Amino acid sequence: MSPVIHLGWAELAVATVLVVAAGAISLVLRLGIERRLGLAALRTVVQLGLLGLVLEKVFALRSPVLIVGILLLMTVFAAREASVRTSKRYRGIMVDAWLAMAVSCFAVGAVVTQLVVGVEPWYDPQYVIPIVGMILGNSLTGIALGLDRFLDHLVSRRHEVELRLAFGASRREALSEPLRVSVRTGMVPIVNAMAAAGIVSLPGMMTGQILAGAPPLQAVAYQIVVMFMIAAAVAGGAMLVVLLAGRHFMGADAVLRLDRLRTAK
Amino acid sequence: MGAFLTAGPLSAVDGEGRLLFEDVNIELAESELAVLDGPSGSGKSTLLRQLVGLKPTEGAARELAGEPFTGTQLPAWRARVTLAAQDAPMLAATVGENLRFPFTQQCGGGRSPDEARLRDLVAAVGLEAIPEDRDAGTLSGGERHRLALVRGLLWNPPVLVADEPLSGLDEETAAICFDLLLDFAHRLGHAVLCVLHDRALADRADRHIAVVEDRP
Repeated sequence: MSPVIHLGWAELAVATVLVVAAGAISLVLRLGIERRLGLAALRTVVQLGLLGLVLEKVFALRSPVLIVGILLLMTVFAAREASVRTSKRYRGIMVDAWLAMAVSCFAVGAVVTQLVVGVEPWYDPQYVIPIVGMILGNSLTGIALGLDRFLDHLVSRRHEVELRLAFGASRREALSEPLRVSVRTGMVPIVNAMAAAGIVSLPGMMTGQILAGAPPLQAVAYQIVVMFMIAAAVAGGAMLVVLLAGRHFMGADAVLRLDRLRTAK
Repeated sequence: MGAFLTAGPLSAVDGEGRLLFEDVNIELAESELAVLDGPSGSGKSTLLRQLVGLKPTEGAARELAGEPFTGTQLPAWRARVTLAAQDAPMLAATVGENLRFPFTQQCGGGRSPDEARLRDLVAAVGLEAIPEDRDAGTLSGGERHRLALVRGLLWNPPVLVADEPLSGLDEETAAICFDLLLDFAHRLGHAVLCVLHDRALADRADRHIAVVEDRP
């Protein structure tokens, strides 16, 4: 294999010419976007630079407690992001989203890092943090989609839910159709991504590994693991979040409580 | 012996927070068809939904033939005191699935629908030309209401609660459907409570329960 080509200050300066060229086009064509472009370029440098510095520190950590703490913090941010993406909300949506994401992503993350990759020591941040981050970031969309669909189904198809209840359905029976529809909806993006992988798109992580000098087949192996772990995290997370949400809208007495729903502004 | 069914006290407010009714107790005798009267907007549908336990009620007790049903037993209560809701809602499924779905639920207890009774009911209300595999979403309002009535009668609960079951039906069909309800109510171990708009038919009920206006 060829060694990894190192990028230094000089190389980054050359790359800067590219973004300056984009700015020049904006000036010549009077697109009026050169200021925003410049600001965005600056933010890219500063934000990624900070991330790099943070990651250097984080990867040097040798404390499992701190690393698990960082992972938990990541799940909180992901849950916040997921719960603001739904068009309808309820009290406690954030807690439900967090619980669902934490449980499914940690379970899948544990299988991948410990059994598939076999990270040593088990908390090695260089592996654990990017892998869990990737699961969180990618399953977030599916979980948010599933939850949104579930809340929407309860409202738009409430007459069907109550029709089942009127004929003696238990909570489980009344919510089984909304649950199936929602989890299926949540899984559509990852199923599509898996079906198109390598034909329509070259997955970003795989591209990165190949650039970093990894043998293509190794990069492929990692990418397969990533796709599978996201599929599992989405299925588990969407199912869990819908089950948790269902408990908010229907207690053991199986009364549909849509009065607990709020529409997002 | 006491009443066949008792439920209450039931209270409700409308969307603006105004009181619709307060501390209402409902009693039904065995083998009677009672009609719930009251002006529109007086909360009749709300009262029926509370009676069957589809709308939250606080501190309401429910008893059927001497057997009490508490909060977690509401699904079992609804299987026995079954609501045929306003506007005859249907599952997004075929006509056949709509008729039979209650029997596939846990509360069906492995019962299967009485096929002979099903044929008789469908013929009586004039739906025999509609194939069971037709999408229920394509039915007209009148067809839907008749189908909902057949579904309720086929399920054969002790108490059938029907919210405007005859709306959208012509006079003749409405009379046939009302006879089916009356017939059902008069059998032992059964009762019917319904809201009806047709005065002439409502006059044939055994008893009237009125939601009266009691506002200053």
